[in-house]
Amino acid sequence: MRTGFLGGRQSRVVLTPEHVPLRLTPAGAGSRALALLLDFMLVVSATQAAALLFNLVLPAGVATAARLTLLFALTFGYHVYFELRRNGRTLGKRALGLRVVDGRGLPITLEQSFLRNIVRVFDFTPVFYGLGGAVSLLDRDGRRLGDFLADTLVVHERTPLRPEGSLGGARRHGDLAEAGTLRRIRNRVSLEEREFLLAVALRADRLEESARYDLMQEIADHYRKKLEIDAPNLSGESLVRDLIAVLWGSAENTARTSSPRSQSLSS
Amino acid sequence: MDIERFAREREDRWRRFAELLNRAETIPERELGPAGMREILQLYRLTAADLNRARSLTANPEILERLNALAARGYRFLYRSRGRHGEGLLPRLSRFVLREIPQAFQQEAWAVLVAVLALLGGALVGAGAILARPSAAPELIPTQFFTESPRSRVERIEESEERIQSVGDAALFGAQLYVNNIRVSFLAFSLGALTLVGGAWILFYNGVLLGAVATTYYLDGVSVFFVAWVGPHGSLELPAIALAGATGFAAGRAFFFPGDKSRGESLRAAFPRLFRMLAGVVMTLLVAGWIEGSFSQFSAKTVPYGLKIAVAAVLFLSLAFYLFLPRPPQAEPSPVGGGGR
Repeated sequence: MRTGFLGGRQSRVVLTPEHVPLRLTPAGAGSRALALLLDFMLVVSATQAAALLFNLVLPAGVATAARLTLLFALTFGYHVYFELRRNGRTLGKRALGLRVVDGRGLPITLEQSFLRNIVRVFDFTPVFYGLGGAVSLLDRDGRRLGDFLADTLVVHERTPLRPEGSLGGARRHGDLAEAGTLRRIRNRVSLEEREFLLAVALRADRLEESARYDLMQEIADHYRKKLEIDAPNLSGESLVRDLIAVLWGSAENTARTSSPRSQSLSS
Repeated sequence: MDIERFAREREDRWRRFAELLNRAETIPERELGPAGMREILQLYRLTAADLNRARSLTANPEILERLNALAARGYRFLYRSRGRHGEGLLPRLSRFVLREIPQAFQQEAWAVLVAVLALLGGALVGAGAILARPSAAPELIPTQFFTESPRSRVERIEESEERIQSVGDAALFGAQLYVNNIRVSFLAFSLGALTLVGGAWILFYNGVLLGAVATTYYLDGVSVFFVAWVGPHGSLELPAIALAGATGFAAGRAFFFPGDKSRGESLRAAFPRLFRMLAGVVMTLLVAGWIEGSFSQFSAKTVPYGLKIAVAAVLFLSLAFYLFLPRPPQAEPSPVGGGGR
């Protein structure tokens, strides 16, 4: 399992009062930095535009004072406004599919928004989010210091997948490559079974040869029936490993990887 | 149960829920009406149940991700916290400024005390060091504060023209000052909150500088000038920095020592107080910046020292009374839904 060090991200699970676990996927440092850069440029250009106006209507000193004040107020206000009114998404975050949420998966409150944006000054040191960036690389949830103090978290919102979904990416699993079989594997195997299959394959080396063979045959027989797999040439262990490759590879991965077997089990 | 059928049968409902949420997230709650709200609640419960069910049926990420995202949106919408309703902006604001901000500082009086002691302790050390060895001043004080002897600086300032000649000058200088000071106070807060010791150090260090600079002026026989020039804004600015540090300590205590609560709970309990304290700090620094950019800059030709020192004393006492004078208890307007959730 991936642990949280330098980009290794794990979902955080939030339990709703209805006892339904929801998964929050922390955003990576890269997309967060990009979103920040976008927001930063927006704030600066908005201030510059306003400064042109100030210069026209206000006396020189007052105009500069107004620009300074506006830049400072916007640096905070922009984030606070969008985090509250646009459900945790500044324009930059929205462009990158990110959202600030409370540590429990709820929208953040006014106080939380203020705190995380006040600590931004500290995260920003010594240059463009040096400290905050370093901290967020080390944290499992990718949080910067402001997120720690406000108990918030930036999550990556996956775009809702197409309902019918292309269960394609089919070709590469030897005898399981047929579309109908792949669909049955993906649909009919539960999460617990998926974990179980991986565990079996990882521990196989520690089994005695004959025990290993029998176990794999037994498991394979079960799935041959359950998933209507017609692949008589496949040994029990090959079938199990192919199943794992289908179950654990994401749609893109399975399409791209030439050797799913070694890939999914190399750990 | 066959997952394909499961998904097919529920497809319309999930779609309806997504559409309803799209609408509900963009319009005010009033327009949604009780019927719409009830439908969202209903659909949320069904979707949450579907998610649980689907997890036992399949590992297909496409179905699970979609349901998870949908249920999460519903959860966020339904369990969000709501502000206090039925109170006008003005009464709300005046209660915030007149009652809630001082109350917050009174509740965290220990933190204020620690911060003040750190600053004063630093000032004593700084003053003591200069008194013990006046020649150490250039080493202790950064060069930007130490370009000429205090006495010649005073003479130069008092003889040259007023530095602030127009409203524009005052506005610009004031804005530079409060922007910088607010940023510094946020840093002091962050350091206090996330390291505790760092916050104490920054206060102590600033105290040392202040004590040392003040003592060089005293030794040069121009202490009245110093008080008149630093006093009017310093009487607000220095307390404000100490208060920012104090807010940091209060946050740090909630963060590092949650007691038998979880860290999240402990922080959430402290949030309203921290917010109020920080608002108080920012308010004070805005006023201090404006004073420092204008009134503080007038030489004795325009405003006599006595008046400037009197203003300094009045400002400091006002701040102290504002924050720490006990107020008669007042019935809370409506405790229902006030910030907590």
